[in-house]
Amino acid sequence: MKNFIKPAVFALAALAAGAAHAEYPGDGKISFVIPYKPGGGFDTIVRTFAPALEEVLGTTVVPDNIPGASGTRGGQAVYRAEPDGYTIGIFNIPGLTVSEATNRDIGFPLSEITWVANLGEEQYGIAVKSDSPIQSVADLCALGRPAKMSDTGVDSTSSITAVISFNILNCPIVNVTGYGGSNDTMIAVMRGEVDATLKPIGSLAKYVASGDMRMIFTLTKNTVLEGVQNATEIGHPEIAKFTINRVVGAPPGTPADVVAKLSAALEAASKSAPVQEWASGSGTQLTFMPADETGAMMSDLSSFYAQYKDLLSK
Amino acid sequence: MGIEALFGAVFDMLTGGSILFLVAGVFLGLCFGVIPGLGGTTALALLIPVTYGMQPLDAMYLAGGVMGATSFGGSITAILLNTPGTAPNAATTFDGYPLAQQGKAGLAIGASAAASALGGLIGLVTLLMVIPIAKQVVLSFGPSEFFLLTVLGLAAIAVSVRGKLLRGLIAGCIGLIFAFVGADSITGDIRFTGGIGYLWDGVPLVPTLTGMFAISQMIELALKGGSVSDKAPKMDDNMKITGVGAGVMSVFTHWPTLLRGSAIGTIIGAIPGLGGTVASFLAYSSTVQTDRHPESFGKGNIKGVIAPEAANNAKDGGSLIPTVAFGIPGSAETALFLAILVLHGMDPGPSILLNNEREVYGLIVALTASAVGASLIGILIARWLVLITRVDVGVVVPVVVAISLTGVYVLDGRMADVALTVVMGVLGYLMIRFDYPRLTLVIALVLGETAEQSFHQIQMISGGHALDFMLARPISVMLILATIITFFLPIARKITAKRRES
Repeated sequence: MKNFIKPAVFALAALAAGAAHAEYPGDGKISFVIPYKPGGGFDTIVRTFAPALEEVLGTTVVPDNIPGASGTRGGQAVYRAEPDGYTIGIFNIPGLTVSEATNRDIGFPLSEITWVANLGEEQYGIAVKSDSPIQSVADLCALGRPAKMSDTGVDSTSSITAVISFNILNCPIVNVTGYGGSNDTMIAVMRGEVDATLKPIGSLAKYVASGDMRMIFTLTKNTVLEGVQNATEIGHPEIAKFTINRVVGAPPGTPADVVAKLSAALEAASKSAPVQEWASGSGTQLTFMPADETGAMMSDLSSFYAQYKDLLSK
Repeated sequence: MGIEALFGAVFDMLTGGSILFLVAGVFLGLCFGVIPGLGGTTALALLIPVTYGMQPLDAMYLAGGVMGATSFGGSITAILLNTPGTAPNAATTFDGYPLAQQGKAGLAIGASAAASALGGLIGLVTLLMVIPIAKQVVLSFGPSEFFLLTVLGLAAIAVSVRGKLLRGLIAGCIGLIFAFVGADSITGDIRFTGGIGYLWDGVPLVPTLTGMFAISQMIELALKGGSVSDKAPKMDDNMKITGVGAGVMSVFTHWPTLLRGSAIGTIIGAIPGLGGTVASFLAYSSTVQTDRHPESFGKGNIKGVIAPEAANNAKDGGSLIPTVAFGIPGSAETALFLAILVLHGMDPGPSILLNNEREVYGLIVALTASAVGASLIGILIARWLVLITRVDVGVVVPVVVAISLTGVYVLDGRMADVALTVVMGVLGYLMIRFDYPRLTLVIALVLGETAEQSFHQIQMISGGHALDFMLARPISVMLILATIITFFLPIARKITAKRRES
């Protein structure tokens, strides 16, 4: 029972820390909000960063899972917290950007969040079953019927990326959604019920390496994999703009000096040996951006997705 | 490769200091299993942060210990208090609780312990045999098969409530209505939430289940008063509680029931999204359907305890089939197992057996040891556990209510979950009072989402020709036949029985 009480006590401690009004950097506890349950990608990156961040800042960092309402409940908790630097959170970007662009209520204005840093960025690729006759995006668009793709939910970032980029390519697709997780969408390709799937390159790479799938395209400006076409090569470099980001934010009105300290601490943490080691072992791509760059990227993304509003609201 | 890896894993476990983690996991699993509202998933979710500082293999032992022990722990409360400790134990209450009321709780616990241990072993042996062909097995189950399995499950619900068909269907429909609340998994539209943000993710299962079974049962007990087992002898001869040994032996005499339960558990375990509740329910209902005396169930037939408990533990082995094949989870527990690997900087995927062989076999060995160990502990302490049925409900009710509501809160830290549990508790009590089957509602809630989702998928994949698509797949055809048989067998039986009479 001891092990069961411990996290509960930690959670209480985190709540208490959130309410404290200590001057930053003081010796209060930083509550790092994860808007999903323990075990997912966002949870893992926060739990990996937390000890490294603790070391840099010299304060305790407590990962705090606040799941619910497609990741918006955790975001709301950060939005409502005191802007004292003791509550920060990780945000699903561009998932939330897209929700906002399509007028879906996420419970808080994304633009008011103080952006602290970008921890990771991944780009997309398209893969088919390894024995599929499809060799390129051109083949995929010339099947004589809409190409079938697999995805998790309609509002998942990969699904949005598939819908918009194939619209740009003027290529009809049927995006079969409802698969339980991104792994299940790849299994669907292997089972042969869909033709291809668009997923982060890192996720596809595992199945490409095991020989179950073959990559036919990457949504990147430059060549990532030898012999695999990229966005520039097919004349649409703009679709390389689709990424998936792990962005850290703080409550609106967090003082600039606190943000700067947090941002610097996160940068140092992302360069630390344990984090680097974890990233290379788990195939995670760490792309650090400081506060100002992250803020710029966020408003850039907002206007980028706003132009596809009609397509996404369909 | 498999055998050597297995021996290696056993050797690892016996030589390291890690066996302590396994024992801790077993005890923790038993506790979380016994307490309504808390289950294996909660235990593992809470443990994830704790495993951060551990060796990966130790974390596997802890996780395996918990996973293997919760389901048996949950059967104890199911038998003694008619309150399933974890969701999958709901089916165990049907015959386990009547046995306890007749003063035969020892028999039921003995049978549950032996069925859990043996079911767990059968599931894991099946897993080890399937490993070489695991990829093909996983690839032969797609949306079409998922959909037809849910239809089979719904058909089994409809016929399982004998004589109360209409009430069963009403309860099932309410469950389906609950299942459709929240974001539509295909279109993303928010439906039937009444503007309540909490319901965006749907009606959550754990609070529903805890309310439906634990809270409602406590309301019932509190209003009834007395103690659970009225037939129990007086306190002075309480040390005469026997039957545990006979219960263990009963599993061996009813080995076809054990095998059927284990087989159903393993298969359902391998299907992501269905889980132990469906597995144990299908095991129970198929046992009733194929028995010569179906009317003897629900009144304390020991086979009604053996089948769901065997299925419940066998599903752990089954849920690892997709995991060893592609590094994908077959159940909520295996999802957390994979999360632990990721947290330790590993990258589970299709090469999981090559890259993480030690961890996977470590988990398999831990699961085996845990299933057997938890049952042994259960058998040893059964005579004291049984005393709960003689305690005045005035003591039992407040304790169970407080602990289960706390358990529901701990899971996600949401007060709304507690409120929903209470609402479901009242609804559950009304269902007891007016004789509507509660498990039917819960199973429909579990199956509804998968059914809707996979049917939409088949429609999209087949371009609107869902039936042609299904009929072209051999496993789908088999499932359609099984559904037809399930639905018409009771009717056919009734007709032949009438003919014999006349």
